[in-house]
Amino acid sequence: MGTVSAPQRLTLRQSVALVWRTLRSMRTALILLLLIALASVAGSLLPQWPNSPERVLQYRADHEIWGTFFERAGLFDVFGSWWFVLLTALLFVSLVACLVPRTRALWRTLRTPPMQAREIDAFPLYAEASVAAGPDQAIESARRVLRRRGYRVARDPARPALAAEKGSAREVGSLGFHWALILLLAGVIYGKGTGFSGLIAVVEGQTWVDAEANYDGTIRAGRFFSGEFTGIGLRLRDFGSDFLRTGQPMDFVSRVDLLDPDGSPIRREEIRVNHPAKVEGLWIYQSSFGWAPVIEVAAGGEVVASGPIVMDRDPPPEGVPEFAMPWRGVVKLPGGGSGGLDRAVELELWPDSRALTALLGGGEPQAMLVEFDPIIRFTVWEGALGDLSTNRLDTTGLEEGASGIVGAGRTADLSDGGALAAGDRGSGATISFPELRQYSVFQVGRDAGVPLVLAAAILILVGLLPALYSSRRKVWVRADPDGDGAVLRVGGLAMQRKPQFEEEFDRLIRALASAAGGTPTPEPRPVEGMPGEPEPGEPEKVQTP
Amino acid sequence: MTDLQWARISNDAFNVALFAYLAAMVGYFAHLAFKRDVIWQVSRAVAVVGVVANLVSIVARGLAADRVPWGNMYEYSSLLALLVVIGALVVVEGVYGVRSLTGFALMFSVLTMAVAVSFLYVGPGPLVPALNSYWIKIHVQAAIWGSSLFALGGIATMAYLVVDRVERRKLEALGSRTPPPIMGGALDLGATGDAPADLVPDTAEDVETRPPRRRLVPSAAVLDRLAYRIIALAFPIWTFAVIAGAIWAQEAWGRYWGWDPKETWSFITWVVFAGYLHARATSGWKGRRAAVIALVGFVSLLVTYYAVNLWIVGLHSYAK
Ligand code: HEM
Repeated sequence: MGTVSAPQRLTLRQSVALVWRTLRSMRTALILLLLIALASVAGSLLPQWPNSPERVLQYRADHEIWGTFFERAGLFDVFGSWWFVLLTALLFVSLVACLVPRTRALWRTLRTPPMQAREIDAFPLYAEASVAAGPDQAIESARRVLRRRGYRVARDPARPALAAEKGSAREVGSLGFHWALILLLAGVIYGKGTGFSGLIAVVEGQTWVDAEANYDGTIRAGRFFSGEFTGIGLRLRDFGSDFLRTGQPMDFVSRVDLLDPDGSPIRREEIRVNHPAKVEGLWIYQSSFGWAPVIEVAAGGEVVASGPIVMDRDPPPEGVPEFAMPWRGVVKLPGGGSGGLDRAVELELWPDSRALTALLGGGEPQAMLVEFDPIIRFTVWEGALGDLSTNRLDTTGLEEGASGIVGAGRTADLSDGGALAAGDRGSGATISFPELRQYSVFQVGRDAGVPLVLAAAILILVGLLPALYSSRRKVWVRADPDGDGAVLRVGGLAMQRKPQFEEEFDRLIRALASAAGGTPTPEPRPVEGMPGEPEPGEPEKVQTP
Repeated sequence: MTDLQWARISNDAFNVALFAYLAAMVGYFAHLAFKRDVIWQVSRAVAVVGVVANLVSIVARGLAADRVPWGNMYEYSSLLALLVVIGALVVVEGVYGVRSLTGFALMFSVLTMAVAVSFLYVGPGPLVPALNSYWIKIHVQAAIWGSSLFALGGIATMAYLVVDRVERRKLEALGSRTPPPIMGGALDLGATGDAPADLVPDTAEDVETRPPRRRLVPSAAVLDRLAYRIIALAFPIWTFAVIAGAIWAQEAWGRYWGWDPKETWSFITWVVFAGYLHARATSGWKGRRAAVIALVGFVSLLVTYYAVNLWIVGLHSYAK
């Protein structure tokens, strides 16, 4: 690399070669790995847009200067930032740059027979054995013994000698592992690129259909998403939940029917946490759940609004359990108020009215885990409503009207909030609460890369084991004539795990000798660390030039 | 027996284990100081008592809660402490014949358990639904096994760095008087009875092949290799744990990876140890630099284990 002289400008070819050489080096890979680790640290310490947007906003509000700086630097979306993508891309280019020559070299090694050696007694391990068989026979039996032990064996064509090798699994495993990382990345990119995910809320008894409009704008789609939806239907038959007294959820389950686009049933499923439904490449997960009271608003005897209202909760204040919070929703009636004004009815549901009683009586907030005499507190507002699509009410500029309480199965008057007997139409505008239902929120998505990613993950594990634990060993055998029989001279060399090989070598000698009818006279010799040779457990080749 | 009785037994056995480990730790350190075999034998026996009590505590906990006993931080800690001590006794002492690290492993377990009872204790109870899957059972087991081995690897690495420094000092001190050992010069380290060959990095690897020597603190080269072996054992287990976690996340949350803090930190730990494995194969990064990377990995492991659950909010935080 140091051959480039200063005044001369690099040709394009030279610079490409230089970059390639740099990327091929293990040091580059090492530094890139550490940089990625460092970037991930930042990504875990700062709030991230994709995971917790509220906390990013909070952070930016609290730390004005740093917040702006971090935002510019992409530190609130580390894993989606251009520089993280660049680091990953560099690492993978580097990986390919390593793998291509290594794979070629492995291919060559696997196809060329092991090299013969002349001075067998010069190897770190050496032993002799006198055997009854003649040289050729002895070598033939040695070949069989070594083959049986998994060695690749090459006979010397010129002499009764052979060379044997074992342990290419190490390099095969290592290459398999590294290629699997590339496969993994490919699977991730393919799956995320062509997939999408979104959230849907379905009320008991209702049917949802897989179409873009039905995701309420929650869709997050990959860059290459085709934009096609299946038209599959999902009917929520009912939802069940189970809690401990502490409010810890035990189990929730949505019993659903999956429907064809034409409405005919495909099958029934129970979707619960850890048990998604899979249909036509869609994965449907249990996400969360809540209450959806059925509300009917009537004016002058005519029903002007009717249906389940999907409700949600305010975040609980410090020290109050989440399940102690009432549920909120709103019925918006454009033009439904007096004098052509809009009218809205704000609703506050207490699924377990005992909690409200207790609270009003000065008690502690109580978790509402089951339905028990549910009641709704309502407030009427009049004025110009503005945005009708949200399920929250902005009361600025609205005039507050009557408020009251309506229990399940009851009706109340909207003009004075008073309860009405069955059949009583009161002043004409009424609200009824015929029944309380639950809704279930599902995460629906598609990720066609999952099988690929899983395959890559398995390959990573399978490759890692031989890459870390196997070792390359070489053995040479020569048989010199000795009276009627022969002397077997055996040399051995291990690239890794030398102590283990020494024991293996002992056993090997004994097997070789007894196969050819003789006894070994092993020469004990310590394993010598040859200069420049890697230590055990370390790869034998270092890519760095 | 009732759940309540099992819970009592579990808690009592936990305390027995904690004090047994503490006593054994003191014993092992005394052994380091006084070098008497009998101290070692007693300490080892006490440590084994601790292991049995620890095991009893874990099993009783499972019986009390009617589920696998690894569902929250307290339970993970108990299991981690157990595996670290077993690893030290079986792998480090048993397979590699190194006794001098067991005291530090016991110290790690004592700290883990002390933190667990003081800050992380929760009574036995059922799991939240998201944790109720067999993948999480597998994932948690693998993560704890991997963690315990990484912890042992971290301890061996620290020992390596310390011993390496001492050896370098000695070499420097002697360097002025004797020819450097690499050139074949004889080196007498006197009272420590150290064999000179051990100081020569290139030949140190064959120490194992020699008859066992009466050395309490092994050479830096042996410690380095011990650390490597343990980390190389931990790495695939950790890899498997991360993969099992991803499979579980796919089942439970609909995405196999989401850069949740716990996921991010287990990835960081994985990447750092992959960096360590590469560093050992990179000229100029072997030895001390690689060891520093392993230490960073150890710290990252602790962050993954504690900080994420306790301080950094994420989906995993309900697992505490
Ligand atoms: C995606 C990130 C990577 C990971 C997680 C990774 C992981 C590993 C692991 C676990 C080993 C086994 C170490 C051992 O045998 O002791 C290894 C070996 C190796 N890696 Fe990587 N690697 C990555 C990227 C790279 C890159 C970019 C290069 C090219 C510069 C590279 C080149 C090598 C080489 C040459 C070996 C030695 C193989 C042997 O002879 O055993 N790796 N890698």
